[in-house]
Amino acid sequence: MTHYDAIIVGAGAGGGVAAGVLAKAGKRILMLERGPRSEFAQVPRDHLRSQRGSFYGHNAGPDIEGNPRTLEDGSIVLPHQRGYQNNAAMVGGGTRVFGAQAWRFMPQDFRMASIYGVPEGSSLADWPIDYEELEPWYERVEWEIGVSGTDSAMTHLPPYKRPYPMPSLEPNTAMRTHMKGLENLGWQSLPMPQFINSVDYGGRQACIRCQQCVGFACPVEAKNGTHNTTIAAALRSGNCELKPGVMVERIDCDDGGRVRGVNWIDNAGQRDSATAEIVIVSAGAVESARLLFNSATKREPNGLGNHSDQVGRHLQGHYYPLAIGLFPERMMDNLGPGGGVATCEFNHDNPDVIGGGMLADDFIVLPIISWKIYVPRDIRRWGLSAKQFMRDRYRCLGDIKGPVHEIPSPDGRVTLDPKLRDKFGIPVAHLSGTTHPETVRTASFIYDRAEEWLRASGAEKVWGYRPDLRLSGGQHQAGTCRMGEDPAESVVDPWQRVHGHDNLFVLDGSVHVTNGGFNPVLTIMATSWRAAEHIVEQW
Amino acid sequence: MFNERQLQTLHAAIDRVIPEDEFPGGVEAGVADYLLKQLGRDLTHLAQDYPRFTDALEAEAQAAHGQAFAALEDEQQDALLTRVEQGKVQADWPLDPAAFFADFVEHCAEGFYSDPGNGGNRDGVAWRMIGYEVNG
Repeated sequence: MTHYDAIIVGAGAGGGVAAGVLAKAGKRILMLERGPRSEFAQVPRDHLRSQRGSFYGHNAGPDIEGNPRTLEDGSIVLPHQRGYQNNAAMVGGGTRVFGAQAWRFMPQDFRMASIYGVPEGSSLADWPIDYEELEPWYERVEWEIGVSGTDSAMTHLPPYKRPYPMPSLEPNTAMRTHMKGLENLGWQSLPMPQFINSVDYGGRQACIRCQQCVGFACPVEAKNGTHNTTIAAALRSGNCELKPGVMVERIDCDDGGRVRGVNWIDNAGQRDSATAEIVIVSAGAVESARLLFNSATKREPNGLGNHSDQVGRHLQGHYYPLAIGLFPERMMDNLGPGGGVATCEFNHDNPDVIGGGMLADDFIVLPIISWKIYVPRDIRRWGLSAKQFMRDRYRCLGDIKGPVHEIPSPDGRVTLDPKLRDKFGIPVAHLSGTTHPETVRTASFIYDRAEEWLRASGAEKVWGYRPDLRLSGGQHQAGTCRMGEDPAESVVDPWQRVHGHDNLFVLDGSVHVTNGGFNPVLTIMATSWRAAEHIVEQW
Repeated sequence: MFNERQLQTLHAAIDRVIPEDEFPGGVEAGVADYLLKQLGRDLTHLAQDYPRFTDALEAEAQAAHGQAFAALEDEQQDALLTRVEQGKVQADWPLDPAAFFADFVEHCAEGFYSDPGNGGNRDGVAWRMIGYEVNG
């Protein structure tokens, strides 16, 4: 059996960063990914089956067949269906098809319980690390992965020690309109930081401003994920062996809690295994928890790291209030990716609600998504009126939305389904509970601000979607292996080592205690970079 | 899946959901091609209901006008489809008229507005109409 220095389970944002750091340090790595390593042409630009509009399927995994989950009402859901809480499964993970927003969390985001108190029934808690601790790692990721942005505009954060490596993309028509709206309101206005090359960077070219960005792979690799940065570097180093298309069945752990290696199954059903000095779990908040459950031992019959019944709890993502506006003039000028002006005016210090969230305009909305979600409900949906609304007004639609900082509940959780197994014969994830209801109040407050912004930008008519209470996760999934000093209340320590296991780590969004009012990927990468460097230092 | 008569009815209905103006109607833009493709792919569960739907539209036309649906004037077809949309039908329907019609409308829009790779939106005509451009 082959022995490695490290085995990394999952080649997404967290695992991808870990591979880069460990390979650079000369460690021999085996990286296992259940999805494929896809070229651009293998990530279809199918408007009915993408990670953005999953009406009949999606384009970045996991396979629709053979990967079910179950819900509280007993139903079985497939990866593209509502309630599954899907994240992409391929080399690069979600970073292959993300919208590439590169937000730092705010200092307050790490201290939610201290600032707001803990609402009854919620598991709101402070992180064991703070913004200052993470700040150098944010900066590291911004430079190593490549972020375009304007540090001087980030007035909601402490001053940056180093600016972004690339300037912001030039604004399009919709952004300029929304910037005027912010100016009218006197709200903070900033260009969204993005993992997108505004100029040539990292040996890859600048963004060509196409119209199919979020939900799709980039045709010119100007969108910076782990697949074209840290994983590419790890593979070039010769220290990293990448096995796509394999599903890890369990982590092998001895009676003393020391992890020996992992077992996996490939798509042809062949089993194999390898041993390693350390194992890093980076499968995303749902699948990382599932793997820990499925790796139960006599010593830990409820799953590795689950001695305190914390694995799988506090599942979080983001509620997204969405306000839509119909403008007298054209907003859409086909200058992609769209989505670029934001305000952090309402992330904190809001009256009578806990936390808040960033608000921004959205990416260019695909025509079929515009039809299904954006067309006003008082337009008859067939006949000339429908067709001519799209003809005349598709380009006049604008939107403001944003990720609301969720208030976690211990009951919003991942467990194992007692019966159902996936195509490999491995017990599947069962999802139950909801976030804490306080999230709904915050989301409603943020929705009202989104409407206010659209009106100030000149929308003649405004409507939208105010989120209801539900379980959240999806592409921003987090929280199921929370980080903490106390093993009774957390799964990993502040260096992301699983309590009770010297050589088992979790490096992905699972460790987030709370998930910020921002897209979480920069924080996943920053915490992973910090933890991986620490692993190397302590080797 | 569809006999000749059913296909005529289907085409006529598609062209009322997405009528021709200075831009092509649904059938010319490939919406029927999209739908047939989908009935063999993601909508196989409707493969029997769709012919029944066209038969019911036909029965509705015969009951109201004594004529084939496809032979009716545009305005007559629109009025008939409006009644179907509202569930106010005269003929015997083997499926829920309003619910099925609503789904039919969505399927037509999917064919028209999604990418040409799905079989509709021929040569990107719907995207040209609304001003959505794709480069790169």
